[in-house]
Amino acid sequence: MIAPRSAKHPIRTLDVIVLASVAAVIGYIGYRVNFVLVYKWDWSVIPTYLFRWDEKTATLVPNLLIKGLIATIRIAIWAMVVSSILGVILGIARTSDRLFPRLVSWAYVEFIRNIPPVPFLFLFYFFISSRIMPILGIDEFIYSASPQTLVVMEFLFGPANLMTNFISGMISLSMMSAAYIAEIVRSGIQVIPRGQREAGQTVGLSPFAIMRYIILPQAVQRVVPPLAGQFITLIKDSSLVALISVQELSFLAMEIAISEQRFFEVWIFTGFMYFTVCYSCAKAFGWLEKRMGAHRH
Amino acid sequence: MQTPVFDAARSAVAGEKHNSRKVRWWKSRGFDFLQFIVLVGFVVWVTWRSAASLDYRWQWYRLPKYFYRIIDGELIWGPLINGLFVTLEIAAWGMVLTLIIGLITAILRLSDSFAGQALARIYLETIRNTPLLVQVSIFYFVLQPILGINNPLWTGILSLAFFEGSFASEIIRAGVNSVPRGQWEASSTVGLNKAKAYIYVILPQAVPLMLPPLTGILVNLVKHSAILSFVAVFELTTEARNLIGDTFMSFEIWFTIGAMYLVVTITLSTLVGVLERRIRRGR
Repeated sequence: MIAPRSAKHPIRTLDVIVLASVAAVIGYIGYRVNFVLVYKWDWSVIPTYLFRWDEKTATLVPNLLIKGLIATIRIAIWAMVVSSILGVILGIARTSDRLFPRLVSWAYVEFIRNIPPVPFLFLFYFFISSRIMPILGIDEFIYSASPQTLVVMEFLFGPANLMTNFISGMISLSMMSAAYIAEIVRSGIQVIPRGQREAGQTVGLSPFAIMRYIILPQAVQRVVPPLAGQFITLIKDSSLVALISVQELSFLAMEIAISEQRFFEVWIFTGFMYFTVCYSCAKAFGWLEKRMGAHRH
Repeated sequence: MQTPVFDAARSAVAGEKHNSRKVRWWKSRGFDFLQFIVLVGFVVWVTWRSAASLDYRWQWYRLPKYFYRIIDGELIWGPLINGLFVTLEIAAWGMVLTLIIGLITAILRLSDSFAGQALARIYLETIRNTPLLVQVSIFYFVLQPILGINNPLWTGILSLAFFEGSFASEIIRAGVNSVPRGQWEASSTVGLNKAKAYIYVILPQAVPLMLPPLTGILVNLVKHSAILSFVAVFELTTEARNLIGDTFMSFEIWFTIGAMYLVVTITLSTLVGVLERRIRRGR
């Protein structure tokens, strides 16, 4: 079967095989669901958890699933901000002339890359919740805070009683993401030809000025698209903080699935929610990148 | 990297001494390295101190029996070692399934079959745009009862394999695409059909390129297997959580687990590095 692209055989053997196996799998699943498990689908639980009718204000207010989605996006944005700062510093350190910053950055990146996220998250949570938080006195701060401060705090960090979980989840997500951002920044800096740096030195610029006026402006253009991808990764990875009881989408989905005993519908719909957000982000970033690219030329 | 002449010129520009050999001691590599060691020591010390602050009692002496016990002269592995074995088992079987799924997806994407390409794209986009945790949950709570799998371990392995398979397929596809077009044309000129061209011409050139990143997937499988503690799979992290529930030695056990994972993944990562260097030298 040499495959010259011809219009003669628009449908190939492979097409038939693929379609047949897809049909077989769907058929088998349908058979199992309808005749073996005799499962009765009930999607009506989903809409009530998206929005609910509030009697007091007589409006539609977001319910658990939408709240969870907001919490997910909130933690992803926070983690993106923190990890970008940390990642840029580490990335620049990685390209330094001196050995010390290079070693520090290298050790950090290798450590994070090789440790699994879940144990890291747990360890960090125990560490933060039992050691750091008492030292910082966040709990006392929340107890003594005025209602207005609490409103602002809840908008920024979510429910006050889960502040510790949120902050440790957010910091550990940021620390993990920072290692990847460091690599993105490093490669962004390293693809810039050495001649640029040397030219800067020739005209007598300081290392800081070279970084600030020559290297970074060029690196930024190369770094932005993968950074956008990192944001999508963060939205996905933020589901991990469900393990330390931060009430984001996955955690709430789990709770709803258990309380309603509707595992099939709730998990499939949650997957669909994540997919919608991540896929539309990916498409939007791709479109933006194309537009930016068009302007540059 | 740089020539001494250039180095000298550079330091001249930067207003340093002409003699580049005479590096001041606080700018030497040795001192940098020393600083690094001191910093690592400091971080470890601070972690240790703050973990031990308040009235936390370290009970490391209780730990060995969770690795192994000797009863009547017979060696019995404890939960931690058993958990490690399960993690390695997940990684090993996961790797086999990942390769199969990755290969099929790559073949479908490289084929000119419309249905094949569409299926591969749907699969890739679904996996890429949903979190692993949700995928594992869907496998565990939805597909397991539907398909009638009665072992959560296999559900876990299957879900990880489907996740990593998307990366594997991209690696395989990139490897095949990196073989110049001329090779395809040459093989069809000497009368090889597509399958034979793959086996005798394309793959022997593409596989060495794929090997290091594919080994990287093995590292990821070890790392991501920890997510299976979310469902009832008794791998290392689950065992650790159960132990902590029993003994309340959170720090000892989490530090130990972290170290165990690090040993496994760093060994594998080093292997990837060695492979990469060898292949680069071979080319």
